[in-house]
Amino acid sequence: MKKVTKGFAPLAVLALVATGCGGGDSSGDTCDEDDLICDYGVTDDTIRIGLNADLSGPFAGLVTQIVEAQTVYFEMVNEMGGVAGRDVELVVLDNAYDVPTHLANYEEFSLESEEGVVFFTQSTGSPHTAATVEALAEDNLLAVPLTWYSGWADPDLGGNIVEINANYCVEAMNGVEYLAGAFAAETIAIVSLPGEYGEDGASGAHLAAEALGLEVVYDGQGAIAGGDTTPVITELVAAQPDIVWITSTPTQLAEILGGSAAQGLQAQWSGNSPSYSYLLLNTAVAPALDAFYTQSTYTALWGANDSEGMQLIISEMQKRRPDAPYSDNYIRGFLEAMTAHQILLAAVDAGDITRAGIVEAFQTAEIDFKGLAPNQNWTGEPNDFIIRDTYLYDVDSSTFTPEATVMDADGGSGSVLIEGPYSGSLAQGYVWDGPCFVAG
Amino acid sequence: MFRRPNLYTSYEAETQVLPSFTKKAIAVFAIVALFLMPFDVPIISGPTEVPVLRSIPLIGDGLPFFRFLGDASWLRYMSDAMIIVIAALGLNILTGMAGQVSLGHAFFLGVGAYTGAFLGGHATDKVYGHGLPMWIWLPGAGVGAALVGIIVSPVAVRLRGLYLAIVTLGFVFLGIHMGNTDWGRKFAGDPSLGRSFPEMDLRVWKEETPLVSISKKGSWFGVEMSSNQKEFLFVAAVMLVFIFFAVNIKRTRTGRALQAIRDRDIAAEVMGVAEFKYKLIAFATSSFFAGVAGALYASHIGKLPAAQFNLILSIEFIAILLIGGAGTVAGTVMGSFFVILLPELVKDFSEWLSERAEGEGILASLSEVILSGNQGDFGPISTATQTPNYPLNVFDLNLVLYGVLIIVFLIFEPLGLYGIWVKVRNYWKRWPFSY
Repeated sequence: MKKVTKGFAPLAVLALVATGCGGGDSSGDTCDEDDLICDYGVTDDTIRIGLNADLSGPFAGLVTQIVEAQTVYFEMVNEMGGVAGRDVELVVLDNAYDVPTHLANYEEFSLESEEGVVFFTQSTGSPHTAATVEALAEDNLLAVPLTWYSGWADPDLGGNIVEINANYCVEAMNGVEYLAGAFAAETIAIVSLPGEYGEDGASGAHLAAEALGLEVVYDGQGAIAGGDTTPVITELVAAQPDIVWITSTPTQLAEILGGSAAQGLQAQWSGNSPSYSYLLLNTAVAPALDAFYTQSTYTALWGANDSEGMQLIISEMQKRRPDAPYSDNYIRGFLEAMTAHQILLAAVDAGDITRAGIVEAFQTAEIDFKGLAPNQNWTGEPNDFIIRDTYLYDVDSSTFTPEATVMDADGGSGSVLIEGPYSGSLAQGYVWDGPCFVAG
Repeated sequence: MFRRPNLYTSYEAETQVLPSFTKKAIAVFAIVALFLMPFDVPIISGPTEVPVLRSIPLIGDGLPFFRFLGDASWLRYMSDAMIIVIAALGLNILTGMAGQVSLGHAFFLGVGAYTGAFLGGHATDKVYGHGLPMWIWLPGAGVGAALVGIIVSPVAVRLRGLYLAIVTLGFVFLGIHMGNTDWGRKFAGDPSLGRSFPEMDLRVWKEETPLVSISKKGSWFGVEMSSNQKEFLFVAAVMLVFIFFAVNIKRTRTGRALQAIRDRDIAAEVMGVAEFKYKLIAFATSSFFAGVAGALYASHIGKLPAAQFNLILSIEFIAILLIGGAGTVAGTVMGSFFVILLPELVKDFSEWLSERAEGEGILASLSEVILSGNQGDFGPISTATQTPNYPLNVFDLNLVLYGVLIIVFLIFEPLGLYGIWVKVRNYWKRWPFSY
């Protein structure tokens, strides 16, 4: 045994010596044609934007449509001359909703050369994005996450996270306040997934219930754990609340709402935006959703208003992807692209499209969503800038057309606008002094 | 130097770690190559500058299967794979050597990760952490996992085969559930965001600037290196230590006892092998490997929710053993790299193909046949991201390959990659009389 160990020591030394060669890196000062200062991800004719997107994991259906809408948006921008005379190039890598893959992709995006990117217009996944938070700050990169956690407003957690629209917590306050008013409720049940998404929404609902004097007859915060929703349904039916606030996935919503309704629960429901998908109207739970569910969203839905932004997205999608199936997810893609575009334009105005320059532009940028969603900035304290407006829709399954394409300007999602942007008194008076929910 | 193969004149000679010159040479070459990998080296890491090589069609712009090594992301995958090697070697001791099938390996990785975070992580008002240096938290993670292994082993030791698999399967769900309880969150943080793990930095105690910084970019011996390169080198060194340890276990009294238990436990006991004791040792050692690997894995990723240590990870380890070859260290190492890097190889190979498809010649037309870029094409691999589901996109293809490979290996090559390697080796050993 000893003989062998002897052999290894000189070997390790050799390896260390051998590592002495190689390892040069190139700096990327590529802006010599105009007055702009720039470093990485920019050449004389392109600006590279990264999407660390889930194209094959659980959110692939949603994210591919977001990517599609962003592609359409930048096709339009490039046709009109691009940004600072450069084409915007979208670099899409699949993270397959896997944290190690997300981080490996990140290495490629963050390269300090022409091969890198200047901005992430999509970073799918909360644990995935959270794992890159420190690196984002170190590399001066901004990322748009696909989550609406109230904690991202915290400069300690998400200084480089570009959170678009209201957060789960505010959304729940608006939703509960609306439901309680519209249906003269006295009791409430709150059910959610465990973790940042579910419990942030549930915390908002709790705050609202307390402020409105609603009695919480079943507190199922974090109760939707594991695959079996039966215990939650049993508790809900036993508690007989007037209203229910749910923060889950669409599949779980269908199981829990459908199961409770089948057992005779007559409550009115609403839940955080990701809990609902209009595709549920294709299933047997459609009549129950029609009767009991009020959809809450962060943005206007397809064709729900007549704003400049809505006309733009409808005409661009019709022009460039006439065969694409109808989806509200395009709106999200457009919002992400508009945010990146307007931050880039602000950076160009300031004459600095280095990564650091873009972060600086983000801190003072004012994003105009042209009526697709409430305008937004990230200037000053979180309390000054968090969005307090959400949108409420009635579910009407008779207007649902499953095979609709983008050519149907009115949409076929079965969602009918009740009010939006809607901002209840609780959300308006809410003082942000930290995330609504922190685990521990 | 050139002796008769397979002729050993002493027991000591036969049980050497590297008994032949060829094996020694391969080991030296592999280790040198491993430590050179993070640096710019022609052929492996991309288009070569050497004019003679450039003109060779495949090698000129990097070997198609290895060209991905030139990407910035490959180092991370390699580091991931090396950490998985450590964990898989642990499972190999338990399953491959002692014959105890465990589906709970991910649980022990998790225990290691959170022991490491408890000892080395930074405390916030929501999670525990003591900020101890790595020389405490890394071995501590292993010891913590080993202790848990010892605590649960009295139950596990009484079971075998399918029953043991089911019980260990339970650990995984238990672990994820515990991570979600109020006290579990003190260790694991938010169930979906996770907590921050300690960084791989060498410190004497809790001082501000580390003695050697591994997790931040900087210069080592005059060479500017990224944190990625540094972590790769560190993980590679740790992996070598564990490989050496794993090879040695097999040569000891314990190793022989474990193999006796695997081959026929009752016979082993009759011969005086203390079954309980050795199964306990196997469990503890296996968990120790898993614990250290778990802490490294978590530290390498930086932030991870408890649900990541799930059944799929456990099954990945079983696949590693089956594909690599259960019971052999070399097979386990090969299997780990194979399973972790396969998705990337497939992805990069199809990217390489799609680049070829734009060119001319035989390669281009071949690539055209295999790929389908638009909706009208009929190639089996789709490179279009906008047409999900049909035909197979690269990622679906990976999942299919994964399943097919396990089945193929179980039926045609139960010894795994190691078995293939032995066959190839024997062929050339007897050449030209190999039939």
